[in-house]
Amino acid sequence: MVEGAGAFLAWLGAALVVLSDGRRGLALGTFVAAAGIALVSFSTAGPAASAALGLGGLIAGVRRLTTGRPGWAIMPAGSTPRLVLCVAGGLVALWVGLTVMSGDDAGLRFTVIAVIGLTGARALGSEDTPTVLTAVAVLALAVAAAAGLGADHPGLAPYGLAAAIAAISSWVPIRTPRAA
Amino acid sequence: MQPEAVELVAFAAVALVLALLVAQPAASRRSLLLRGVVGLAGTAAVVAAPTFDLALLVLLAIAILHSAIDARRTFAARVHLPVLGVGLLTLAALFARVSGAEVLERFAAVGLAAGLAALVGVLPYIHTFDPDEPVSSSPVAWLAYIGPAAAVVVVADAQGLLAADAGAAFGASLVGIGLLNMVWGSVAAWLTETTAAAWRYSFIADWGLALCGFGITLADGKRAALVVLFSIVLGRLPLYFASREAVKQKVVTERPINLLVAAALAGSAPFAGFSARVLLLRGATQLYWPLALVLAAGMLLWLPASLRLGRSLGVPRGRHALGVAAVLALNVAVGLYPLPLLAAARL
Repeated sequence: MVEGAGAFLAWLGAALVVLSDGRRGLALGTFVAAAGIALVSFSTAGPAASAALGLGGLIAGVRRLTTGRPGWAIMPAGSTPRLVLCVAGGLVALWVGLTVMSGDDAGLRFTVIAVIGLTGARALGSEDTPTVLTAVAVLALAVAAAAGLGADHPGLAPYGLAAAIAAISSWVPIRTPRAA
Repeated sequence: MQPEAVELVAFAAVALVLALLVAQPAASRRSLLLRGVVGLAGTAAVVAAPTFDLALLVLLAIAILHSAIDARRTFAARVHLPVLGVGLLTLAALFARVSGAEVLERFAAVGLAAGLAALVGVLPYIHTFDPDEPVSSSPVAWLAYIGPAAAVVVVADAQGLLAADAGAAFGASLVGIGLLNMVWGSVAAWLTETTAAAWRYSFIADWGLALCGFGITLADGKRAALVVLFSIVLGRLPLYFASREAVKQKVVTERPINLLVAAALAGSAPFAGFSARVLLLRGATQLYWPLALVLAAGMLLWLPASLRLGRSLGVPRGRHALGVAAVLALNVAVGLYPLPLLAAARL
């Protein structure tokens, strides 16, 4: 039940990152996705790793509230293709994670596929630096969550590093490109 | 830790010293040193990472740092491909690890090959390129500095993740991508308009050879890949640095040194590229002889591009000449006697 709720939250958060152009929308997406990834990782990674993922997402989200385009800008005009991507991406991830694959941790499999697919697409499709950084921060958390599906216990290192990437990437000073 | 990867990190450190020797303005040398040391530390962390997931996260961190460097292309344009690479590699690793339909293993094999190509920035994914951008913030940093060690780590981990059948599919995908890069890179380096872009394509052509070497899953293939990567990191990269000023000033010279450099870049005897090609052809002959024919034909395409790039070096003088001489001497040494290099990598 908890794993299912976490997987849904992770997809919802990633979808918000895809659908938002404003700083509040992006921050909300980061909070929700990080909470979902932390919840779904709890059973495989343990409480410390889940807390690290949640904290990384929290710091990234708080920082996002201060930089980027003002306002929410969730589903601005012309965002229908992005909405289709979120719904279709979620359905494909659900089919692959639950039907094509088998075994335990179905929620974690769905989360990793859906979040990496959606945030990867957002990072590739946007030229706006705060948006790309937000997508990369959430993607880092999903990459760490995927470590829980390995045969060996990954320890705290990947979760801690992903949390650090998510938290610090939003503080990286990005300069405007120099003209020729 | 992979001994080949450790060796490639050491090569990158030597390449940094050579680049500092031949880099032209003093101001750019200081920033080059700082960026080079950070990049080297990141690459060493990728090699030292105990798990594949950790290595991918370190690569993601390097990608963010590299894309944040002050440069002429936007942050988004620079971060796209490494992010795509890390995403594809993570999904491919997931597909390889979980149980399920048999087709998942095939998807994993193709995803690992595609992720590697995206991470390094070779075809079918190549970075946007600005000829006036500093080398440290350009795609060449991924092609010739961070990429070689990272590729060895990815290939080694991929072979650990995949079963025998999927491993063969992974090798075949790498050979396919390698052939594409060989042909496209060498023809583009010959025919493209600007010389700086020609240098960039020549790195891609060399990567074609390295990917074919990785794909030929015999000892000779691995040996060939290592020697090709050596010639990229300690041959083509410092020579690219040495040519930057002459390329900017559009100087074209045809002295004996230019012909020597062209010969080194073309992989002719007695340089390192030659022994790499011999090893690659030997491996291909053992695996499937028609592949050796295709590779041999493709290798001829290096000649016109290398003559063009050799002429673009200008006439090196002072420390510049010293750097070029050191690069050529290193490449002759490895070309004549590659055994210590291969033995250190346990190949």
